[in-house]
Amino acid sequence: MNPYVIMILISSLGLGTTLTFASSHWLLAWMGLEINTLAILPLMAQQHHPRAVEATTKYFLTQATAAAMILFASTTNAWIMGQWDINQMSHPITTTLVMTALALKIGLAPMHFWLPEVLQGLELTTGLILSTWQKLAPFALIIQIAPNVNHSLLMTLGLLSTFIGGWGGLNQTQLRKIMAYSSIAHLGWMIIVLQTMPTLTLLALITYIFMTTSTFLMLKLNQTTKITTLSSAWTKTPLAATLLSLTLLSLGGLPPLTGFMPKWLILQELTKQHLPLTATIIAISALLSLYFYLRLCYAMTLTISPSTNNSSAPWRLKNTQSTLLLATSTVLATSLLPLTPTTLAMLL
Amino acid sequence: MSTAIAIVPLRNLCRVQKFLPLAASPPPWSLPLGRRTIYHGDYRRPGQTRDNRWPWQKINFDFSKGVEGIRKHFGLLKDEFVQRWKGPEGRPLLEIMLEQTRVLWDFRGPGSLENWIVSSDREIGGRSEAYLKLGRNSTTCLLYGTLCSVPPRDGETRYSGYCTMRSSQPKGSFDRKKHYDLSSFNTLHLRVRGDGRPWMINVGAETYFSHQKDDIYSYFLYTRGGPYWQDVKIPFSKFFLSSRGRIQDDQHSLWLDKVNTIGFTLGDKADGPFQLEIDFIGVCNDPAHNEDFAYEVYKRNPNV
Repeated sequence: MNPYVIMILISSLGLGTTLTFASSHWLLAWMGLEINTLAILPLMAQQHHPRAVEATTKYFLTQATAAAMILFASTTNAWIMGQWDINQMSHPITTTLVMTALALKIGLAPMHFWLPEVLQGLELTTGLILSTWQKLAPFALIIQIAPNVNHSLLMTLGLLSTFIGGWGGLNQTQLRKIMAYSSIAHLGWMIIVLQTMPTLTLLALITYIFMTTSTFLMLKLNQTTKITTLSSAWTKTPLAATLLSLTLLSLGGLPPLTGFMPKWLILQELTKQHLPLTATIIAISALLSLYFYLRLCYAMTLTISPSTNNSSAPWRLKNTQSTLLLATSTVLATSLLPLTPTTLAMLL
Repeated sequence: MSTAIAIVPLRNLCRVQKFLPLAASPPPWSLPLGRRTIYHGDYRRPGQTRDNRWPWQKINFDFSKGVEGIRKHFGLLKDEFVQRWKGPEGRPLLEIMLEQTRVLWDFRGPGSLENWIVSSDREIGGRSEAYLKLGRNSTTCLLYGTLCSVPPRDGETRYSGYCTMRSSQPKGSFDRKKHYDLSSFNTLHLRVRGDGRPWMINVGAETYFSHQKDDIYSYFLYTRGGPYWQDVKIPFSKFFLSSRGRIQDDQHSLWLDKVNTIGFTLGDKADGPFQLEIDFIGVCNDPAHNEDFAYEVYKRNPNV
């Protein structure tokens, strides 16, 4: 694509998110969300394939629906309560509606059906932007309205998302769909602790962004979109294959990697809030997700010769992809666990 | 007076049309009313017999059929849940990762022909015939018939003369559409015995928009016609996109993760009998084949 156009689109993406972050009025926040949606659509349809256009259309329809619901809820709130402040939204109907709309925007279950299909139709870079950057603005709003949202709604969204994220990803062979279900599961973890300690939600979101960035960039380095081609990733760059398996285990929440930190702190917080059953259920749902991450690690690292795989070993050509972001995000995705005491001190 | 009108059966009102000068005009509800009626099958092609029955006469209610349907669909649903524990598509992941060939259609036994739909230009009023049966020893399928390229005399069709067989879309429980995930493979492998005619292989992938519903990826199958079997291997990168028979300018490669149907078409404008015997249709992975797409994809707006 023309570099000027790409520059406009990426700066619009940044503008939209920043606008939503900086806003205290619902209309401005909604505008930021709309700018984000519209800016990413040309990036998604860049690949002139019907599946990419299908993904773009599905994304547009869901995001537009969610934006319309947000507008409707904020207007209703303004009518009933007389003010437009985001963190003053306290009417139960409007907060429920806005929470549902934001859940549709980020892909929380049961409003998650669009995410795997949309991610599957996109290239890895655009999928990365969708999974990471596009979650920031809605989360800014979610954290602001969190104290006033119905507790049962948040618990339902969280539990359902962790379970469906684990269950849905179990039998996927396409990596982008696996990342979509991983996203759904992680969002569930973030939502479940939202009302008790919103800083943990932020922590989970930030660690999720590092881990997902690292995974997507590694998959782009290896040019793989399926499990079968992932099995020949070790021939191209053995170190990257090792690091990818570590990143996947971090996504699964295994110590001593970064991904363990948010899960541990969330479970601790839930136990403190006398919700042991919820903690047990999400911990068990995380096992389902761990199963498919382990399966990817198995495909990548434990299927080397002499066992055959049906993808040809790629040429070890000099890679022209810039690996700075990959290196940074991989380090952050695997080695931040020792920072837990500092994080706890900051949280408390 | 009003009661006299009330006891006249409704059907008699239609009979009034017999006395009109346009005696052959169809009842108003069967006229093509718009695009929706064409898409939804109300349009009647020339040569198609008119079905003038009332809707309640078309009902074929059978309690035992209903019970069988419930048993079948709930059984399929239970299988889908159970298969989830085994792996993708009900097979262990190791099998999916290691498989290099897969036979998709294997014509053994009479049940194997149920998934195939045979049609010819008889539907538009032409005179070709096509039939499908099991071949010798029930190990192959034989598509045979006669091609006739005389166009039907409906005033709008200029060309005719085609016969086709197409596999039906795989269905899950409750007739939900399923797709074939052929992303581990890159070549179509057929074993056929033709009659020397040039056939066309059509692969139908899953589409989203209504203007894409006739999108088909095609390639040619040149048969030899001898008594010897012919192994044909066509890479999927060679398939080109066409819609309603017209090759599209904006070409793209076939994405193999959602393939719906495969079909064979004959339309070589040579009147006469034809036959095609198929042993199996499978897919395989050719590691030496590196091509993504065989045709150039022109950038249509180079400044954007």
